[in-house]
Amino acid sequence: MSKQQVVTIKGTKDGLILRLDDQCAYSDLLEELGKKAQDPGLEGAVEVQIHTGSRYCSDQAAKEIIQIVQSAGHLRVSKIQSDVITMEECNHRVQEQQSETYIGIVRSGQEVRAKGDLVVIGDVNPNGHVSAAGSIYILGRLKGKAHAGNAGNREAVIAASWLEATHLMIADQMETMTDELAILSEHPEMECAYLHTNGFIAIDRLQDLRLLRPGLSTFKGGC
Amino acid sequence: MGEAIVITSGKGGVGKTTSSANLGTALALQGKKVCLVDTDIGLRNLDVILGLENRIIYDLVDVIEGRCRIQQALVKDKRFEDRLFLLPAAQTTDKNAVTPEQMKDLITELKRDYDYILIDCPAGIEQGYKNAVAGADRAIVVTTPEISAVRDADRIIGLLEQEDIEPPKLIINRIRRNLINSGDTLDVNDITTHLSIDLLGIVLDDENVISSSNKGEPVVMDPNNPAALGYRNIARRILGESVPLMSVDTGKPGFFGKLKSLFTK
Repeated sequence: MSKQQVVTIKGTKDGLILRLDDQCAYSDLLEELGKKAQDPGLEGAVEVQIHTGSRYCSDQAAKEIIQIVQSAGHLRVSKIQSDVITMEECNHRVQEQQSETYIGIVRSGQEVRAKGDLVVIGDVNPNGHVSAAGSIYILGRLKGKAHAGNAGNREAVIAASWLEATHLMIADQMETMTDELAILSEHPEMECAYLHTNGFIAIDRLQDLRLLRPGLSTFKGGC
Repeated sequence: MGEAIVITSGKGGVGKTTSSANLGTALALQGKKVCLVDTDIGLRNLDVILGLENRIIYDLVDVIEGRCRIQQALVKDKRFEDRLFLLPAAQTTDKNAVTPEQMKDLITELKRDYDYILIDCPAGIEQGYKNAVAGADRAIVVTTPEISAVRDADRIIGLLEQEDIEPPKLIINRIRRNLINSGDTLDVNDITTHLSIDLLGIVLDDENVISSSNKGEPVVMDPNNPAALGYRNIARRILGESVPLMSVDTGKPGFFGKLKSLFTK
């Protein structure tokens, strides 16, 4: 019985794809991968993508695969793609998508954190702090600090029925508020803060959020 | 079985001790058996305001460390027969001498004999605060119409909401009519909306509060004093009566007020 091929090479218009068999032993895979990489048939510098199928690829395994493929010198791995992720990663991603709701007043000195979006039903008093990896929506007065996109999401927004925050932060951009911004002292009600393309935090009417961040709307209703 | 109420504020100097002394006295005047507990270990002064300083033999730390029985440490206020007692704080030891568990046991023991136990809490949110709150069933937060006092009250309310006690109630102390009427200070409404807890009462600022504290005679003993009225109303509300909130507005300015406003315009 001839040994089945565990690494197949496929050429596409985006470059070469190395498709690795997901059923065979990992050691067999590495062995054949080594042989394929040394193949004299491949010439010049080529970018390859590696698809591991249903095999879970840990960071260490990924490093090992990249090392073997690149050892010959003329292949360069642009990306490793796998169809599986761990439960942990999956839960983490689910959490990021979720929105958490806090009902109550965030008082001076308190901090409320969320892994996804954060909805606060109540006020955020001065010196109170709300922070979320996603966007922050406040049904009440925001008079304290708010930090949206704290893991680096620059698309995150801060929306409040009454926006009088002392500090606004989106991703790594910080803005101190109230007196400095005329717009806030004049019309604090129903406003939203977002990161403008110029890199600074801008404030607009809440109604404009739909146009500013069309990606935020997940539910299409109103028919 | 009595009820333990902690009187706290976060910020110092807003009138926690004065409020404790006056509310305790007002409750005793209403015929209740009251024990005041000073938990400000290291900086006691509730005894001075009550005029009981020279009768102290043992203190709170002596009781907790077993050097005496509770009954020996309690100082009786002779003006009220058997209705007002004080458990003074220690002046010499530091605030870490007592743990919250010890405090809780002590308050539980006192609750058997008294209708109300008022716990005077030290300023700040450290060990002393934790001790004071440990045995309490209810909390009263004292603030003045100043932004810094309101901010600290907000912090304290946040901490109290995490404890296993009833939602705290608010006393706004040292209200100055003229400043409120001229809009130079936060008014009662601003403060209650901001803190969003129930208002237990307001106390007007009055010079006699200081002079009577210095004399060791709580101002609430004087029935005609405006600040005393505030404290008496609060005591009645603690007892469950519904008493209308006194008006801060002085109404029309008097003759001299008119004359003054003519010249200041």
